Amino acid sequence: MATLGIDGTGQRLLRRLNPGPGGWQVGLATVATIGVALGLSALLIAVTGGSPTASTKALYQGSMASPAAWSTSLLYVAPLLLVAVGACVSARSGFFNIGQEGQVLIGALAGAWVGLRLAVPGPLLLVLVLLASVVGAGIWAGLSALMYRFRGVNVVVSTMLMTFLAQQLISFAVNTPWLLQESRLGRGTLSPQSNPVPENARLTSLGEYPNLQLNGGLVLAVVVAVVLALVMARTRWGFRLKMVGLNPATARHAGVRVGALGGIALAISGALAGLAGALLLTSPVGTNRLQPGMSLNIGWDGLLVALVARNNPLLAIPVAVLFGVLRAGGSFLAATGVPSFLVDVVKALLVLAFVAPPVVIGMLRRRRLADQPSTPTSTPTAPPAATAAPTPTAPPAAAASTDPADTSAPVAGSAQAEPAGSTAPVPGPRSTAPPPADPGDAGNKDAMEGRLA
Amino acid sequence: MDVDDQLTPALTLRGVSKRYGPVVACDAVDLAVRPGEIHGLLGENGAGKSTLMKILLGLVHRDAGTITRGTEPVEIDSPQVAADLGLGMVHQHFSLIEPLTVWENVILGDTGRIDRAAACAQVEEVSRRYGLPIDPNVRVDRLSAGERQRVELIKCLRRDPSILILDEPTSVLTQAESAELFTVLRRVVQAERRAVILISHKLAEIMAATDRVTVLRRGAVAFHGATKDTTAQQLARQMVGREVSLQSESAALGLLPVERPAPVGEADGAVVPPTAPGPAAQDEPAALRLREVTMLIGGLPVLDKLSLEVAPGEIVGLYGVEGNGQATVGELLAGLLVPDSGTVEIDGRPVDLVRPGALHHAGLGIVPEDRHHSGVVLDMSVAENLVMKSLAAVTTRGVLSRRRMHKIAQQRMTEFNIVAPSPDTPLRSLSGGNQQRVVLARELSAGPKALVAAQPTHGLDVGAIEDMYVRLRQAAAEGVAVLLISTELEEVMALANRIAVISSGRIVGVLPTAEATAERLGMLVGGVSH
Amino acid sequence: MSAADNIATILSSGARLTVPLAFAACGEYVAQRAGTLNISVEAMMLGAAFGSIAVASATGSATIGLVAGALVGVAVAFVHGILSHRVQINTFVVGLVLNALVLGLTSYLITVSTFTGHQVWQVDIPVLRDIPIVGPMLFVQRWPVYLLLAVIPLTWWLVERSRWGLELRAVGENPQAADVSGIEVNKRRRQALLWCGLLAGLGGAYLAVGEVGSFNQNMTAGRGYLVIAAVIFGAWRLGRTLIGCVVFGLADAMRLALPALGVTMNSQLLIAAPYLLALLAMLVFATTHREPRALAQPFQRGTT
Repeated sequence: MATLGIDGTGQRLLRRLNPGPGGWQVGLATVATIGVALGLSALLIAVTGGSPTASTKALYQGSMASPAAWSTSLLYVAPLLLVAVGACVSARSGFFNIGQEGQVLIGALAGAWVGLRLAVPGPLLLVLVLLASVVGAGIWAGLSALMYRFRGVNVVVSTMLMTFLAQQLISFAVNTPWLLQESRLGRGTLSPQSNPVPENARLTSLGEYPNLQLNGGLVLAVVVAVVLALVMARTRWGFRLKMVGLNPATARHAGVRVGALGGIALAISGALAGLAGALLLTSPVGTNRLQPGMSLNIGWDGLLVALVARNNPLLAIPVAVLFGVLRAGGSFLAATGVPSFLVDVVKALLVLAFVAPPVVIGMLRRRRLADQPSTPTSTPTAPPAATAAPTPTAPPAAAASTDPADTSAPVAGSAQAEPAGSTAPVPGPRSTAPPPADPGDAGNKDAMEGRLA
Repeated sequence: MDVDDQLTPALTLRGVSKRYGPVVACDAVDLAVRPGEIHGLLGENGAGKSTLMKILLGLVHRDAGTITRGTEPVEIDSPQVAADLGLGMVHQHFSLIEPLTVWENVILGDTGRIDRAAACAQVEEVSRRYGLPIDPNVRVDRLSAGERQRVELIKCLRRDPSILILDEPTSVLTQAESAELFTVLRRVVQAERRAVILISHKLAEIMAATDRVTVLRRGAVAFHGATKDTTAQQLARQMVGREVSLQSESAALGLLPVERPAPVGEADGAVVPPTAPGPAAQDEPAALRLREVTMLIGGLPVLDKLSLEVAPGEIVGLYGVEGNGQATVGELLAGLLVPDSGTVEIDGRPVDLVRPGALHHAGLGIVPEDRHHSGVVLDMSVAENLVMKSLAAVTTRGVLSRRRMHKIAQQRMTEFNIVAPSPDTPLRSLSGGNQQRVVLARELSAGPKALVAAQPTHGLDVGAIEDMYVRLRQAAAEGVAVLLISTELEEVMALANRIAVISSGRIVGVLPTAEATAERLGMLVGGVSH
Repeated sequence: MSAADNIATILSSGARLTVPLAFAACGEYVAQRAGTLNISVEAMMLGAAFGSIAVASATGSATIGLVAGALVGVAVAFVHGILSHRVQINTFVVGLVLNALVLGLTSYLITVSTFTGHQVWQVDIPVLRDIPIVGPMLFVQRWPVYLLLAVIPLTWWLVERSRWGLELRAVGENPQAADVSGIEVNKRRRQALLWCGLLAGLGGAYLAVGEVGSFNQNMTAGRGYLVIAAVIFGAWRLGRTLIGCVVFGLADAMRLALPALGVTMNSQLLIAAPYLLALLAMLVFATTHREPRALAQPFQRGTT
């Protein structure tokens, strides 16, 4: 295995593959939990009168059985991957963005506006559409960063709330004739949607293959993923991003503009979600029109992809393919009588299956280390204190040993063995200094824990 | 204390052991505490004092040994059981909830229905009985450190504990407040026959306030006896585990009562700064100067027009009781806070504190007080932590060179005796002393003009402490201006050329160490300025 | 119709739309005071709405359905509590996953099954309902509305006056201190979540068996997020939170009622209003609105 290791690359690769003691346990446990997740899904189908094997077959046929099926799957992969890579960047910086669903829509809105209003010839229009979506959604997400920087507004909350604003903004745009609502053709009633973007603002297939549409969007997304993976792992900027995410106070101390860097990460994450929105607008996934429901939950799903990929853009590629396959298969599934919503259940269970094992095993290891020989024995019922009148609302706090988390005792270093986390900043009580710099008791404030996985 | 020797101990520990993985925290500890005595539990940081107390409080389960309460063997497996057995603890940190009122804090952890009137009456009753005046209806975040300590005591005494455990209770108190505390404790043991366990690493305090003393060293009992039959030197020797001379290191460890106004270097002789301290240093321009720095937190001045200067080659000790603004000075100089007014000058040039890293670029190094919070990134490697402030040296057009990073890291690890399996080891897995060396290596190798060391020896073992002292002296000898922020009088007396005393966010006096006596400093610390 | 009638109609429908929000907000308020920024409140409401109709359809009793809905909310809360306050998975991740899971599951199940509609009975007080303007709002409502009137003071009492509430607040403000005082931090947080689940469940169930009488896919449509917005808008005070719910409910009622009254108003703005108000509240009152200091910070002993 180490034959690669002429320049140490192989060794580094090995080191990375082996996440230290407990790594194999995590791997095994993940396989087991995936089994459980799939088993539960199968059970759900069986209980509701479906056939798990038939459903699996349908999923396969709809997503992978033919070039056409692969085309559909891959059409979904591109926007999913872009959203996921953005989520990786923001989560790394500790500014945890959960507003991708809205940012996708804003990207599509900006793209549609440029596509429909600018009369630019040739593929330049497409480029402008994509650029507009990047800029528009980047600014939209950047607003959250500004709200945090100047008023200390929690990033998770603001990005979440802004998703709903974005939805209504789109709805407003496509219901308002002087904005983007479709122009009247004949006497039909107007639908809440825009005109289709012109042909020269659409992504076309790369090359001509029978039945296989390889969309340019996919290439774009993979390139973005690889580039950002490299940037995060190999550049000064990536180094600083990691520092900010892992310990904003030290980063600031080391001369990093924490707020600015986090804001940029947030804006990048929004911009990529916006680009995903532009892909939805310009590629054959949809109708090439701006519509209120056109985000197709890609924003939420992309976030899940990042969670499964543990914030690693390269890992996000196969995970995005998996999610794309599930999506494409889901549409096909409906034809066999099993509602496509099944794949949503499968996806959510899969995320849990990937996220839980490392955390659980980390906890178990900590417990074992902290409390090795003395396993918490039975909990003796606390002798009622003489003064204590029994009350229904206050159970005696004697059950300490029943709570696994509580038995972990401080060990030099090991009690914090779990990555303390990508932090979504929480406003501190003052706004004179950026919250990560809060002194004393507020010092903990800057870290709203969140190592995802 | 022959009479006490015949009494049944209130609490007896026999062979209590506790391991954390490979680390032995408590090794067959025997301890007997009698009613009517103040029992000192002395030990360095990490000697096992805290673990022992956590076992007594039911926060940690022991691996072996027995605990006897009076004559009954007991099993303490939750804080509730501990409370029911009459064990009460006054915590060093983290035990009051600021937005809650005094009475709410006091009844926290009880069970049963809340009766506000009764709770307030009880607080007032306890506060009258022990002379600890406090208003039960005021919110804790409005109280001073001394008042908070009173609340802690009331919270504990209200439950009528037969055994009181105090964990480093004086670390946030002035000398006057400490004296008040010990008076209360004396009353508690003499008039009410309670037992008190006083955990401390300050020898002076143990000598002055306790009846019996147990010394812990590396988890095991190293000494046990009546306080009056022993001497400070003897205890110091037992605590450290080797002969300690009356030299600066031992004094700085807080092993010795402070009586000796000796300037640095005189007694030690190992490393004497070539630049003579005191007047000579005054002629040169200050390498680090704080000018009228004011910092408001929540509308209250934490720093109040604080001015301070440190000349090249000089060590200035910023001494004061915890909570008087020295932590804020540290955070300010770490670039974590921006003052409301005033300037920081390095080498005569004011620094724009709003720009992150400006202090570093201007030539200020810092060993921050809480290194986990702002000194290192635990989940990054040793190498990454070593180069994080000098990324320019390891990057070409923004791209990192791992090879160069490793090379620099290796050099610094060798130079500063950092013990780690490889530069790629996560910093988290290093010992506290080695983590601190990483910080120091990073800061000193940047060639700073001034170095701030905030509580640099907190939580370190003796070897690491000595190492730190040697490095600080060396830095001063090489012409670096060193600002030592410390709450340990002994540490400051041993290292500093001049001592600046901080109280309520102001410098209340600056003394050459030769002129500083415990009394004068005590007066200054207590706010009695001239 | 007279103007008074119109106002009465809007008030009455505003009250109905407020009820599910207010139930859930009482729960979310408690969870946040204990330090959990619980975004799975959406899942709790949606799951409860589905559960209430499913059980009501099976048993023929809307009231049993309501109870079952509340229990579904508790079940979601239980899972959330285990995952984020025992296993210590990031609470936002847990919330996102639960929201996705419950949405998928209920959407799937409602597609493969058919339920009959059920609705809890309506209180209609003969004379009082004729009081102009406020009569219909106060005296013609389905009975869970009156349950809400009991839940609100109970929630207030629990948080502000009971020992459990004192411990909750302690846990939300400073978990380390609460821990050394002998309070089991994560247990209290789980309990607060269960209370949140119960009330969010009642809110969601009311939506199905109270308000509409049936279940449709993604029935709550983001009401859970609205509830979070209400708690933030209310600056972590129960009274202001409920005022937020009323404002949001009225905005919704106006959106539905105004077109019928011939008033044109931007419906998108009305839908977006709650989120906009919550954001504005955070922006404007950033310095005076103090959230629980340990909000969304996980607690593990020994990690200060």
